[in-house]
Amino acid sequence: MAGLELLSDQGYRLDGRKATELRKVQARMGVFAQADGSAYLEQGNTKALAVVYGPHEMRGSRSRARHDRAVINCQYSMATFSTAERKRRPHGDRKSTEMSLHLKQTFEAAVMTQLYPRSQIDIYVKILQSDGGNYSVCVNAATLAVIDAGIPMRDYVCACTVGFVDETPLADLCYAEESGGVSSLALALLPRGGQIALLQMDARLHQDHLEALIEAAMTACKGVSKVLDQVVRQHLQEASVNSAE
Amino acid sequence: MSPMKLCVPGDKLCSVEDCIPGTGVYLRHGYIYSSLAGYVLKKNEGEELPVISVVRETEAQLLPDVGAIVTCKVTSINPRFAKVHILYVGSTPLKDRFRGTIRKEDVRATEKDKVETYKSFRPGDIVLAKVISLGDVQSNYLLTTAENELGVVVAHSESGAQMVPISWCEMQCPQTHVKEFRKVARVQPEYLQA
Repeated sequence: MAGLELLSDQGYRLDGRKATELRKVQARMGVFAQADGSAYLEQGNTKALAVVYGPHEMRGSRSRARHDRAVINCQYSMATFSTAERKRRPHGDRKSTEMSLHLKQTFEAAVMTQLYPRSQIDIYVKILQSDGGNYSVCVNAATLAVIDAGIPMRDYVCACTVGFVDETPLADLCYAEESGGVSSLALALLPRGGQIALLQMDARLHQDHLEALIEAAMTACKGVSKVLDQVVRQHLQEASVNSAE
Repeated sequence: MSPMKLCVPGDKLCSVEDCIPGTGVYLRHGYIYSSLAGYVLKKNEGEELPVISVVRETEAQLLPDVGAIVTCKVTSINPRFAKVHILYVGSTPLKDRFRGTIRKEDVRATEKDKVETYKSFRPGDIVLAKVISLGDVQSNYLLTTAENELGVVVAHSESGAQMVPISWCEMQCPQTHVKEFRKVARVQPEYLQA
């Protein structure tokens, strides 16, 4: 086991959380007036900004346009100051391209693209501070931004990264836990119907633990969805108060 | 007005037996769910079931659909077609410009082969057109002006003044009295001055 104790005997993690406890989520919608939809989300120390443009005409090669649905174009990037050491290549590296592809697949499952044939929806996410769970925070921020843009979706998309330590699933991993050799699994869920939009893991895990880990991830995602729901309802009420004045 | 109910994407609104789905909702397993974050609106239309839809304060982007009347601006012309930027769909302005094409044979309904695009449109004209196709891989939206009510609405003469329509194929400049050829849209009766 690593020198750092990821889970103490009393059940406390490095930052004092319990095993199933999520980090504090704070979010704001409509942070940019220029974009069609935007949102800022903080989950613990990880901060992400998501911006959505669209649906609009296909840019670039028109041959990529689908005749019966919209194309979702995602770009994931990290600010150079987001990590402990200055990031030399914020976008275009293999990790960012893979993340962009995962985000695209996740949102193609939730956004009702059949309503906008031959058009394009752009989702840009930028990590301002990275402290673990990058993919999950991006998905949560992008969900709020897509709702802010008024693009129809089947349901929220909530994501969470979970890990397995000492026979216990840990929900919402931070950077120290992720790099401490924990088998981490990222899950994106449509909470109402319990449908999984994306499941990703590239670590080693015994198959007996898999079911428990997925269960823990789904519970954590449902917890995140409650917080996002509150944020959306509050934003709607503020918007209606502003328009009534 | 009674306070309208807030809803978020994924909220179950009602069963398909109680209401007909409108905009901003989707059907799944016999129930109607919301797909937008907004307010639930139930409208009663006649003796049929009420129509349920979800509306937002700021309308989301509207896309030109087949059969819609659009207002566009001519950007370039060519002996075979005219390229336009679609600005309004119906009376809703678009946030982003969509590109469209009016082919030579779609300019008017009669004598399609004798059409000269230079005598029908000029760059900078505002044109009312109808969408006939969303286009395929190579083309943009295909539009037509082959009806009496479609065609050039606003045009400027070579001297810069806004021209007045005098017939379906001519417009006249009020300052220089020069007549220019355009495919003019029929003016609505309420705008005609005796």
